[in-house]
Amino acid sequence: MSAFFRLRDEFARARRPLKVLGASGQLGYGLPTKALQEGLARKPDCLGCDMGSIDVGPYFLGSGELATADEMMRRDLADVLVAARSLDVPLLIGTAGTAGASAHLDATAAVLREIAREKGLHFKLALIRADMPRATVKAAARAGRITPIGAMPPLTDAEIDAAGNLVGQMGTEAFCRALEAGADVVLAGRACDTAIFAAIPSMLGFPMGPVMHMSKIVECSSLCCVPGGRDAILATLEGESFVLESMNPVRRATPMSVAAHSLYEQSDPTAVAEPEGTLYVDRAEYVAVDERRCRISGATWETARVPTVKIEGARMVGERAVLLCGSADPRFIASAHERVEEVREVVRGLLCGDAPADYNLIFRIYGLDGVHTWQKPPAIPPREIFIMGECIAETASRALAVMKTTKQFLLHHGFPGRLSTGGNIAFPFTPPELTGGPAYRFNAYHIMEVDDLAPLFPIEMEDI
Amino acid sequence: MRLEDLAKVIRSKNAGPMHLTFDLMFDNEAAYQRVLQSPAMTPAGIAEAYSVPPETVTIVPYPPALAIKIAMNRKVVAGDPGDRDVYGAQQHGPLLEIEL
Repeated sequence: MSAFFRLRDEFARARRPLKVLGASGQLGYGLPTKALQEGLARKPDCLGCDMGSIDVGPYFLGSGELATADEMMRRDLADVLVAARSLDVPLLIGTAGTAGASAHLDATAAVLREIAREKGLHFKLALIRADMPRATVKAAARAGRITPIGAMPPLTDAEIDAAGNLVGQMGTEAFCRALEAGADVVLAGRACDTAIFAAIPSMLGFPMGPVMHMSKIVECSSLCCVPGGRDAILATLEGESFVLESMNPVRRATPMSVAAHSLYEQSDPTAVAEPEGTLYVDRAEYVAVDERRCRISGATWETARVPTVKIEGARMVGERAVLLCGSADPRFIASAHERVEEVREVVRGLLCGDAPADYNLIFRIYGLDGVHTWQKPPAIPPREIFIMGECIAETASRALAVMKTTKQFLLHHGFPGRLSTGGNIAFPFTPPELTGGPAYRFNAYHIMEVDDLAPLFPIEMEDI
Repeated sequence: MRLEDLAKVIRSKNAGPMHLTFDLMFDNEAAYQRVLQSPAMTPAGIAEAYSVPPETVTIVPYPPALAIKIAMNRKVVAGDPGDRDVYGAQQHGPLLEIEL
């Protein structure tokens, strides 16, 4: 009998509070071990981990690569797998391998199998895929069932085909199906963070408002505490309320810190849209249990009329090369933007003759506006600036040719009032031009209406 | 009085690759109300500080946390060629200097 079936049988005999351990909000970047051990000592009923995010940018989704270091991912996966199996409780992991496409899911599953073999662990594994069938997405677009998010343009067949990977965020129902199929460990592709934690309590009959609110908070582990951190967090679901406690004694979940977490990475702090409905926290109440624990109640859940899936895709836009250099010359710094524009034109003439540039050359000048477009220049010019040149071209050799030419002409570019004729820029090392690999951009970030979520997120069961 | 003199937290972060959001948090009701009622704390005021169209700016107060959420469209989609802040975690600068 699976770990979940045993839990369900126990709840059928007598209901009690459910203990959910939010083991990690970013599995693969290094899991604080002490707090995890403390969490295990509390005998949680299940463990959940979020392993991905769209924050890391389009490269990982488009290329199928992982953002985490292999050895750290291996360490984290081993920690949570051994923990869950030693307690014989369900382990649920969402958005495997950073972006949750099949490439990420398969790479993560391979590591999970290796760990199981090394440690002699046996369990039923469910893999849930999240790659969107392109024909289905095209048909939905034609039927007017796809809506762009923000300023994204409408989704065309060409963009659907161009995406390196196209995934959809699965909801709670996918995790429920995997548990219903007898899984002890669920490894999911792209998933809503909440779904990881909401599946078990929803199947045990806990009310969805508090379940979703709890899930939304614990998916970030102890980030909702003061001071915030990445240690495991324990949520005790009581029914209409839940209590939060960080497994690191220095982190306190206070009414204010937990309420404030509702704002994190949300456009609207009061409503959270999910595939199966919307969570409203505008009437939520946060009450201190003691200095370190907070009880939360009052969130409500509204089931959607039509289920929706958020689609994410990223396409390759070329090959990237970068140039790293700096300047400490006040005359160059005073007119740095003009100078790089002059050099841009020289480089274009050399590489393209009379034709327009067949590449995208971008300069970021740190010290002036490398991070943000300021409305006014700084009152006092900086003593030094850092210049990062970036070229995206059709081939890696073309991009590198642009950067190498730019470097040489930036170094020796003459301008009125120049005193420092030895060179305008300093290189931290040579070569100062580096190849950056393929460049990607997001080309799908849309909401797709569907009649049935289940066929989009197929499950594969495996005996380990 | 500048916003940075009253707020406990002023931070920016993406909410997905299309949106930039800002959280303002306060440690007392008076400071929270003062900021909430300032003419600078309107879509027009924020739009001016960020050189974006006011209709793309939303401001949502969240009283349980003494907090204000500001959201706007990103000028460049996160990670697109030419982006300068993929996570959007360093776009809070102009808010620090806002005069209330």
